Amino acid sequence: MGNKQTIFTAQQLDAYQDCTFFTRKEIIRLFHRYRDLAPQLIPLDYTNKPDVKVPYELIGSMPELKENPFRQRIAEVFSEDGEGNMTLDDFLDMFSVLSEMAPRDLKAYYAFKIYDFNSDDYICKSDLEKTLNKLTRNELSEDESRLVCEKVIDEADLDNDGRLSLEDFQHMIVRAPDFLRFSPCRVIRMLV
Amino acid sequence: MSHYNREGLFNPAYHDSGTLEIDRSSSRKSDHYNPYDRDTEPWQRGVADWAPPEALPPYNEQGRYPWDSREENWRPTDNMAMDLLPQQNDSLRWQHNHGSVNYGYQTDSAVDYITAPQEQQAPWTPHMGETLRQRGTRKMSLFPGGGVALGRLGMTEEDVRDEIESGEQDLVKELFAMSSRDQIQAIRVLQMSLQNKRDIRRQVLACKSSKRGLKLTCLTDCTDQVSRSFRRFGANLVSVRQAMTLWRGTMKEIGGKFGTGVLSYFVFLKWLLMFNIFSFLVNFGFITVPQLVQLPNITDQMDFKGLELLTGAGYFNQTVLYYGGYSNETIGTQPTYDMQLAYFFTIAAYLVLCGFSLIYSMARSFQKNFVLSASGNAWCLLCSWDFSVTNEKAIRQRKNNLRIQLKESLSEKSQGDHMTMSEKFKQFGIHLGTWLISTGLAVASCTAIYFLCLDYLEAINNSESQDFSSLLKQASTLLLPFVVSLINLVIPLLYSLLNKIEKYSNPRTQIYVIILSVIGTKCLPSLGVPEFDIARNVLDLIYAQTLAWIGIYFSPLLPALQMIKLFITFYLKKVSLYQNCQPPRRSGRAAQMQTIFIALLFFPSFVGAMSMVAYTVWSLKPSKDCGPFQGLSTTFEAVALWMERLNIQNLPESMWAVWIYNNMIKSELFFYLISLIILVLIYFFWQVTQGRKLLISILREQIINEGKDKAFLLGKLQKLQKAKQTTASSQPAYTQMPQSYDRIQEIEPDYEQSLPSMPRTAEATGPNGPPITSALIQAMLARRQAEEDEEEGY
Repeated sequence: MGNKQTIFTAQQLDAYQDCTFFTRKEIIRLFHRYRDLAPQLIPLDYTNKPDVKVPYELIGSMPELKENPFRQRIAEVFSEDGEGNMTLDDFLDMFSVLSEMAPRDLKAYYAFKIYDFNSDDYICKSDLEKTLNKLTRNELSEDESRLVCEKVIDEADLDNDGRLSLEDFQHMIVRAPDFLRFSPCRVIRMLV
Repeated sequence: MSHYNREGLFNPAYHDSGTLEIDRSSSRKSDHYNPYDRDTEPWQRGVADWAPPEALPPYNEQGRYPWDSREENWRPTDNMAMDLLPQQNDSLRWQHNHGSVNYGYQTDSAVDYITAPQEQQAPWTPHMGETLRQRGTRKMSLFPGGGVALGRLGMTEEDVRDEIESGEQDLVKELFAMSSRDQIQAIRVLQMSLQNKRDIRRQVLACKSSKRGLKLTCLTDCTDQVSRSFRRFGANLVSVRQAMTLWRGTMKEIGGKFGTGVLSYFVFLKWLLMFNIFSFLVNFGFITVPQLVQLPNITDQMDFKGLELLTGAGYFNQTVLYYGGYSNETIGTQPTYDMQLAYFFTIAAYLVLCGFSLIYSMARSFQKNFVLSASGNAWCLLCSWDFSVTNEKAIRQRKNNLRIQLKESLSEKSQGDHMTMSEKFKQFGIHLGTWLISTGLAVASCTAIYFLCLDYLEAINNSESQDFSSLLKQASTLLLPFVVSLINLVIPLLYSLLNKIEKYSNPRTQIYVIILSVIGTKCLPSLGVPEFDIARNVLDLIYAQTLAWIGIYFSPLLPALQMIKLFITFYLKKVSLYQNCQPPRRSGRAAQMQTIFIALLFFPSFVGAMSMVAYTVWSLKPSKDCGPFQGLSTTFEAVALWMERLNIQNLPESMWAVWIYNNMIKSELFFYLISLIILVLIYFFWQVTQGRKLLISILREQIINEGKDKAFLLGKLQKLQKAKQTTASSQPAYTQMPQSYDRIQEIEPDYEQSLPSMPRTAEATGPNGPPITSALIQAMLARRQAEEDEEEGY
């Protein structure tokens, strides 16, 4: 393969490789996907670590995320500024966690953060209601959504404090082996 | 630790302001957010100063906030270390715009110990600002339970930073102690942002290089390079191997468009294909190849007519495709290869290996997917969303389905409570009726086939006397398979009709129930675009594989046929899926379905096939005229004869085989003993699982108790904070949790009283301080107290 690319220095690539679950090729491919979102904004040369961000609107329009009801939360959780404007590091981080190679605990941790809309380290009822809205397109009535959220908390809340902490959530994940499907990134290698 | 302290605070506010102490105290006084102060409204707590509503996050796309808007207001403050808060930055920006100086206290206020203002490049604080910014807004995994609202405890930001730094150093030490591959893996799974990980990695590498700095740097450089290039090579190999996996791309596409339920069917198909490939290779290698080397003498050769391709009989009868094409001679002179034994042992070994592999997969899959399985709304809501689906229509479907599922489960609950006796009876009656009908149908079709078979054999035997052309005879052998296939087509349709009468709410139960009646299928009532019926297709696969396993004794190369068939099926199904079907309505529990498929494959299918083959081998007389077991009374006799021969030869190295045969295989006592031992082991493990279940329930209780402890401690802390607040306001100096620690001991443990103070409906009553990791708090308080005692001591 050789070092024919001029986008990153060798050390940068090594660092990326060691910190994400991607290989060198995949990192380069992802970089090009990132750049394609805003080619005039992102330089082709990252050796001097330019500080550029792609605004959220462009990130949210990626085909992998476009239809995802949680795309905004995902972008917020992974972005440095918390608003969804992502640097390359954030972008790589996001896809690394969402890829199928990331272990379940890591995904569970980030999933927790994504569902935690008010970022208070707990999934409280209001967070659940928002999640429900995003998933069901607001078509459940108020009563129904309240009922569902109450039941969820009943089922999953172990320490009885009325909301789901990270431990409660992880406990639930352990019992849900399908959870590893939390990865929209399966198709990214196809599209790249 | 020191370089984070008093100098180089990472925001201009402190630099610009006067003395730090005064600023801090005044700012703290006015804007310190006291989460425990339930009496004051959020905006009175100084929130409004720096979190105007317009700075709140923009996800009000639905425009719907049924919950308290007040909550929105104070939300920015009510977060702990884990922030990446849009509101934070907005408020920062807002303050920036207003030229406010009060930027700095945000770090030492209750909210977060890392409000790294991301926009600014912090040119004035090169080192610390950078590291703190890199540390960013992600929670470090060192602080479980939601970071620590150390600020709430009134700790300074320096202490906070001390904590972070010491935590980081511990992490670096831990990583340094691991091997390089473990290090990389550990760094990858850290729960931090990429920048933080890079930082940690750099520190670890720096540690490493400093440690090795004493040794030859050139050599270590070389070894570094070599190990790195090895790692790269390994990664390349992995990607190459992945690229060569069969159908990988197609499966991903299917999973993306149709979800994981449908994907599980294709995965199952691929798995079956692997089985057949293995069996084909084994059979071909051990049986067919030696036979091809020395073809047996076949009397009465038949010519090839086109019909053979359809019936599979005739000309093929005498080729190696069939049992009859194998001889019972020993091939070769020295060493000899006994065809009889080879045939028997190859088939036996393959079936046994198949059995083991099925049991192993089943057990592993069961363990992964079934034990302590979750179900219900929580799972539905939080875990079942299939993020791998990217198709817009599919996603809309899923949303609809989820909504329907939730509604149904809600109505189920309410319905289950309100069903009257008569309704229950009616439902029971319907179930019973349809069961009877479906069983009747199955029995009827079985007897029909049986009698047809009998009649048919008779007819064939009779017709031998007449002068039927062989072509017609061969064509008539097709009649039976034709009838069977017809029945296979018609009966499932009848079953699906029956299904519409019955109504089971849980589709999984439906699947299982109908599978129990052997030929049934389930067809979701849909008009228009059909859905991919996973159950029916899987059953077809299992049926075909059963036939293959039954037939393998009689036609060793049958797996080849099966392989071709599976290959074609894959592409056919894929095309049909893409052209015709829509994604399934219910988000299936793919992992559990996988387990069920394997279990079905094992239990009725494999065990059934194996028993039939075993029966054939043990009891039936093999055919006299052809095949490898000509002239023996049962197939197994071949082994018996071989053992006798070995016995007679009396070679020392083969006596162990004879001994095993005589004492283990032939003796019944041995089997009794084995069964007894296995039963004892089963009982033992069963008791162990019972014990573990008990343990789980005890641990659950313990977790609930811990929650109560948390609540209790929180209540105490609230009281302390209140007290401290009143005393702190009168002191300009910066005080932390001073005498508060003594107060803790003074306050009587008032368990029951403080319990209700930890509300179950925390979010409804408004902002309460979220609980904090009790152990951590105690530790911090103790340390703080110890430091203060020291200071006071001077």
